[in-house]
Amino acid sequence: MTEVMLFGGLFMAFSVYRIAHARAFDLGSNDMSIVLGSLNTAVLISSSFTMALSVHAAQEGKTRRLAWFLGATIVIGALFLGIKFTEYYLHYQDRKVPGVWFETNTPDAAGFQMFYVFYFLMTCLHALHMTVGLAILLTLLGMTLLGRFSREYHNPVVLTGLYWHFVDIVWVFLYAIFYLPGRHL
Amino acid sequence: MTEPVVSRKTYALTYGGLLLLTVATTLLSYIDMGPFNMVVALVIAVVKASLIAAVFMHALYESTLVRVVLAGGILWFLILISLTMTDYLTRYR
Repeated sequence: MTEVMLFGGLFMAFSVYRIAHARAFDLGSNDMSIVLGSLNTAVLISSSFTMALSVHAAQEGKTRRLAWFLGATIVIGALFLGIKFTEYYLHYQDRKVPGVWFETNTPDAAGFQMFYVFYFLMTCLHALHMTVGLAILLTLLGMTLLGRFSREYHNPVVLTGLYWHFVDIVWVFLYAIFYLPGRHL
Repeated sequence: MTEPVVSRKTYALTYGGLLLLTVATTLLSYIDMGPFNMVVALVIAVVKASLIAAVFMHALYESTLVRVVLAGGILWFLILISLTMTDYLTRYR
C-alpha cells in the first residue's frame, strides 16, 4: 500500500507534466531504445515466472527445485539490471542525463529535459527496488541451501514473491509510459 | 503451510500470455493513433498487471479481506489521479 503511493505520486506528477509538455514528452519517448526496453520487459516477466515457480516449489516442500528457481530468478533479475545500466550508459554518451551537460535541439527543451528527469527518477527508484529484491533473494537462496525451508515453513519465500511481482508490475507501467507513447513519431 | 494453489501449467500459460501482450503492445505502439497511443499502452499494461496480480500473486485465490485491501490501494490511487486531473485536464485551453 505504501509502495503504491510512493510510485503512484510519481506517476501522477509525470501525468501532470506530460499534459503540460505533450509534444516534448512524445519526442522524449521516441528517444528511448525500444529494443532494450522491450527486451528488458520480457526479461523481467521471465524472472517473475521463475519466482512464481520458486513459491510453487516451496509450497510442495521441494527445496532442491526451490534453490534452482531462486538462482534462476537472481540471474535473470541481474540481467535486467545489466541491460538497464547499458541504457543509462548510452544516455550518458548521448548527453541525455539532465543537468548542465544536457544537449537537445528539440523546440521545448525544458519539457524534453523534464521527460528525462522523470525517466531517471522513476527507473532508478525501480532499479533500487530490484537491487533490494536481489539482496533478499540471495539471502533466501542461502537459507534454502542451509535447509531452513520446508513444506511447513516457507513464508519468507511467499512474501518475497509478492514483493518481486509488485516490482514487475511497476515496470510494466514504466515501460508503457516511457517507451511506447512516442514510438510512432 | 499451504498446498500449491496454482498449477505450474497455469503459471506457464500466464507467462506466455504476458509475453504475447508485450509483443502486441510493442507492435501497436508503431501505429499513429493520436492521443490513443497512450490509452492503448496503458490499457494493455493494466491487463498485464492484472494477470500478474491474479495468478503470480495469487490475488484470485485469496480471502475477501486480502482482496479488499488490494482494491483499497487501487481505489486510493484512482482518487489521487482523478482529483488532480479535474484541475490539470481543464487548465490548458
